[in-house]
Amino acid sequence: MLKRKKNKREGMDPHIRSLMKIVGEKEILYKPEDLLSYDCDGFTVHKAMPKAVVFPENTEEVSAIVRYCHMNNLPFLARGAGTGLSGGAIPLNNEVIISMVKMKKMLHVDLENRQAVVQPGFVNLKLTHSISDKGYYYAPDPSSQYVCTIGGNVAENAGGAHCLKYGVTTNHILGLEVVLPDGEVIELGEAGVPDRPGYDLMGLLTGSEGTLGIVTTITVRILKSPQGKQTVLAYFDQVEDGSRAVSDIISAGIVPAALEMMDKTAIEGVEAGTYPVGHPPDIEALLLIEVDGILAGLEEQVEHILEVCRKRNVREVKVASSEEERGRWWANRKTGFGAMGAISPDYLVQDGVIPRSRLPEVLQNIYDISRTSGLRIANIFHAGDGNLHPLILFDSRVPGETEKALKAGTECLKACADVGGSITGEHGVGIEKKEEMRFIFTEEELEAQMRIREVFNPYDLLNKGKLFPTPSRCMDVKKIVKETVAVK
Amino acid sequence: METKHNVSIEDRFGNRGTEVYKPVTEKEISDFLKKANEEGKSVSIEGGGTKRGYGGQGEAYDWTLSLADWKGVVEHQAGDMTVTVRAGTTIAELQTFLEDYDQKVSIDPCWPDDSTIGGVISANESGPKRMNYGSARDLVIGLRVVYPDGEVIRTGAKVVKNVAGYDMNKLFIGAMGTLGVISEITMKLRPKPKYESLVLLSVEEEEVDTLRSLAVSIQDAMIEPVCLELMNPQLSKYLTGREAYTLLVGFEDVEKAVKDQEGWMEYHKPASAQMDVKQEEDAREFWKAFSKRAPNALDQSDGETKVVLKTGSKPMEAFSIIKEAEKIQHEVSVQVESHGGLGHGISQLVVSGSEEGIVSFVDQLRKYAAKQKGYVILKHLPTELRKSIDPWGNYTSGLFLMEKIKKAVDPDHTLNHQRFIGGI
Repeated sequence: MLKRKKNKREGMDPHIRSLMKIVGEKEILYKPEDLLSYDCDGFTVHKAMPKAVVFPENTEEVSAIVRYCHMNNLPFLARGAGTGLSGGAIPLNNEVIISMVKMKKMLHVDLENRQAVVQPGFVNLKLTHSISDKGYYYAPDPSSQYVCTIGGNVAENAGGAHCLKYGVTTNHILGLEVVLPDGEVIELGEAGVPDRPGYDLMGLLTGSEGTLGIVTTITVRILKSPQGKQTVLAYFDQVEDGSRAVSDIISAGIVPAALEMMDKTAIEGVEAGTYPVGHPPDIEALLLIEVDGILAGLEEQVEHILEVCRKRNVREVKVASSEEERGRWWANRKTGFGAMGAISPDYLVQDGVIPRSRLPEVLQNIYDISRTSGLRIANIFHAGDGNLHPLILFDSRVPGETEKALKAGTECLKACADVGGSITGEHGVGIEKKEEMRFIFTEEELEAQMRIREVFNPYDLLNKGKLFPTPSRCMDVKKIVKETVAVK
Repeated sequence: METKHNVSIEDRFGNRGTEVYKPVTEKEISDFLKKANEEGKSVSIEGGGTKRGYGGQGEAYDWTLSLADWKGVVEHQAGDMTVTVRAGTTIAELQTFLEDYDQKVSIDPCWPDDSTIGGVISANESGPKRMNYGSARDLVIGLRVVYPDGEVIRTGAKVVKNVAGYDMNKLFIGAMGTLGVISEITMKLRPKPKYESLVLLSVEEEEVDTLRSLAVSIQDAMIEPVCLELMNPQLSKYLTGREAYTLLVGFEDVEKAVKDQEGWMEYHKPASAQMDVKQEEDAREFWKAFSKRAPNALDQSDGETKVVLKTGSKPMEAFSIIKEAEKIQHEVSVQVESHGGLGHGISQLVVSGSEEGIVSFVDQLRKYAAKQKGYVILKHLPTELRKSIDPWGNYTSGLFLMEKIKKAVDPDHTLNHQRFIGGI
């Protein structure tokens, strides 16, 4: 028995054998059939095979794996739940994938100081569930929160519907333990203490898409749940009225907890999906608006919102009458992307951001792009922060349509960049939007960022080929993306 | 560009050059830095000049770049709730401008009339209300930064949500001007609160723990104070006339919600506490006086040495830091005026007395803070004292990375050399 096992290992890649020694025999995948599901993340347009997937259980193991890769010049990257939408966890260079899913403990909760300490594989929504009985919650709520991990949230600086009032991930991170690309472990924001002297490395790490280090422990801020919540649903016959109402609400001095918008195509999608709520099929836009806070003050704010909507010719506007109704409205919204599958074989999500006051004109541009490309575009988005999510509907079986969809996506981002916006508000650059970085940054500005990467990741072994366009290579990647397209 | 030569640098706070340049365009900033870099000149950067006693081992620099004339709002779209402003604009000027639109930048640092937004961002200054509104890192969404070689680099964008590339804004916030000169700042705004009030709760020294318990239950209740700041008896005496520990609980919301929360306070306050409520203008007046109490480098008068400490701790540990400081001040015979944020963990202490007393106070408080995993830095102290007390303390994880960043961005140490932690 023992002998046979030894023989089996003899033909094995020596690197796999060494990694096995660090994490144990069972905590590594290396056979091609086991690696298949790691060839992409939520961005499915591009696929590549990793060398192996390892499942460390603690910081020491992560550090040992990283040190080994560093010493042996092996590319590597960290992966959480794999829900990223921009390809940040795709092993472009036959990486060793360090999966954080076994590091999923909650280590400590300190209600008095409003902080919790978790491992990176801890699931976002689980955090809120673990503290909700005491009346606390974790604010960033990406739509994938029931499965995505806090570690991945840190890497992507994840947002969500409620970040309009409460901020994105970076505003809720108090401390990080980080394994640097050479295996050294550092602690930033120790004990969750704010403003530690020195450059804000924690702020740099957050949203660095796994290119500067691997986060192994995270201290987050937790919040007390608001005393009350009121949710308003407003239907508009004109998109423009809906988008002007968004600006009006914000200008009226109301800070909604969330302010979401969907257009006609999106409504068709969500109504055909798993959580229909009976939106009228003939409206052009809807707004989902939530205010929260001190109960005594909410009525006044809701009244104000209703008044704004009426001034903008709303067809119908209602306030959720129960928690159950509110829940249904939100389920309908949060599963919106997936619901597009009900009305289109494939779809591409984009993630541009614009100054909110430019909403009417940019939406018009997106409709023009739709018309020119001949592809339907559904818009489901965080209107309050100006974070658009055009969903480009297409059929990859139709020759040439995928290319058209990619082109339309890029044009949508250009439309956002042209009004002084950004190419991504919460999904990250990854490999998907590398080239589009040039829409918003000059060569010198990109270089300034790459200089920082070099400080942390001088050999570029950690998550290589992400985030930045490389003059010689970006064209090639674009080409590969187009050749290997197989969306969904 | 206004230029002054042979400026006297003989003063108590140092961090000054013998030639002062006051650019009025970004191009002038860029040309100036290019020249300094090429000629190997060391440059100190200043805005309103309030923070010259903040950090720095070297007494003098070759040149000073003053951004005091580089001011004004560049762009403001009320509906976007963002503003872009030049670095030399004072906090008060900015807030006055925004007042017309019923908006504000939700940051409440010391000396709003003199401090410039560039200085506040560079030193990462904040006030009691950061508990609810966050600090500079939560408000800044975009910067234009002039690098030491004169290159202008934009970071972030003029949108409230953005994850394109590294969050380079963070690199310059609190960097004490050691990496680049912040030229323009774009920030998120908030609506001016429809109503505000401030609840003051004072108790005698032996009752002070009741304020701690109250602070814990406030945070565990569903009320939403914008600050929970504890003042020691000396500071309270100056600001309220009452020599007692005083907890400041601020509310900003629609009037109904504010009144509702005042009611909560009335119901839950400790039996021994004296409670006052300041409404609207009275609350604003209080905060004005509060923001001006600590000394800064514009005050050159001789007399007793005063230094300003900033401590960071877990939020509720701010309570024990304020209490411990009371104990130490009696042991080493110095006078302390202090306030600590029980909801955010930043405390500020003004310590006056003999130099030996101050040195020993800082030393003891540092030891205490370290035990709670906190830290003590000195925001304001005379050059002389900076030789016996390191303003930054001596330990920070990741310092070697910070040194490498400095080297990558400012390899010739042109900007604010040795002004920051570890001699960066």
